[in-house]
Amino acid sequence: MTIRVAAVADIHLSEASRGTYRKRLDGIEHRADVLLVGGDLTRHGTVAEAQVVADEFRDLPIPAVFVLGNHDYHSNAEEEMAELLRAAGLIVLDDSAAAVLDGRLGIAGGKGFGGGFAGKCASEFGEPETKAFVRHTREIADRWRVALKGLETEHRVVLSHYAPIKETLEGEPPEIYPFLGSYLLAEAADAEGADLIIHGHAHRGTEKGVTPGGIRVRNVALPVLGRAYAIYSLAEAGW
Amino acid sequence: MSSMNASDAPHYVAARVQRAIAEDARTNELGIKVDVRGNQIFLQGQVFEEEQRAHLTEVATEAAPGLTVHNEVTCVQVGEPGEEELL
Ligand SMILES: [Fe+2]
Ligand SMILES: [Fe+2]
Repeated sequence: MTIRVAAVADIHLSEASRGTYRKRLDGIEHRADVLLVGGDLTRHGTVAEAQVVADEFRDLPIPAVFVLGNHDYHSNAEEEMAELLRAAGLIVLDDSAAAVLDGRLGIAGGKGFGGGFAGKCASEFGEPETKAFVRHTREIADRWRVALKGLETEHRVVLSHYAPIKETLEGEPPEIYPFLGSYLLAEAADAEGADLIIHGHAHRGTEKGVTPGGIRVRNVALPVLGRAYAIYSLAEAGW
Repeated sequence: MSSMNASDAPHYVAARVQRAIAEDARTNELGIKVDVRGNQIFLQGQVFEEEQRAHLTEVATEAAPGLTVHNEVTCVQVGEPGEEELL
């Protein structure tokens, strides 16, 4: 049976957004079975902003799954933010997985990170700072493989903030691609299999792309979509 | 930040303004394009609320005193969810 996935990222709520965002989600239960939110939930990553996000998304009639983005880390309150969202009944992935819709849909993922794309990327060589940067992404990708492996659902979707391919970055200056995503994220999904990868972060990017292994990728950053959320329906398991 | 004047190389002025816009807590905007032409600064990109546009002008003006800031940044327009895509 078809699963309708609603997705959006980069909503960047501030304290001024209180009470204003929820109306965009009115009637979502008639259009979709689950909502995925791909990070950059806030502007500055403060606890006060996180409380706004928790309140705007609380008690939705469909399950809602979140990852955080780089803005949500800016005030070093990412763990408190995740706890606030969980307390509001929302699912938050942190290089982990969750099953929803009676085990029919599995979602794996987390924030992701940068490093660049095959042939034009940083490697774990040289100064400790460079090694640490690249290692962070590699360790994330390794945890995603484990998370995906553990899912025995009919469908699997990967939810990320950073981009797994460069196709969906089209429109961004190529010089900053290494800060927008990493091919290691796509490689993890291609190795374990998934129906779809959702990401954000690239506000000037492009909605649609595909991994080297053939998994559809969708950049759902709000400025890219220009609409409240996108809806993708998953028919038969494709992997 | 040290003081500067309009004779500073435009390249560095643009970099300074862009960095101020990214790092200043009033803005924290990473995707704003900054162009310096003569004694004018042009800002382009998208933000989410009208109030953020005003902050951009403020931060850019402080980072490059003496230059005229032209704020061409627009607000993201959010429409209805639209049609579903069958994958
Ligand atoms: Fe963002
Ligand atoms: Fe981001």
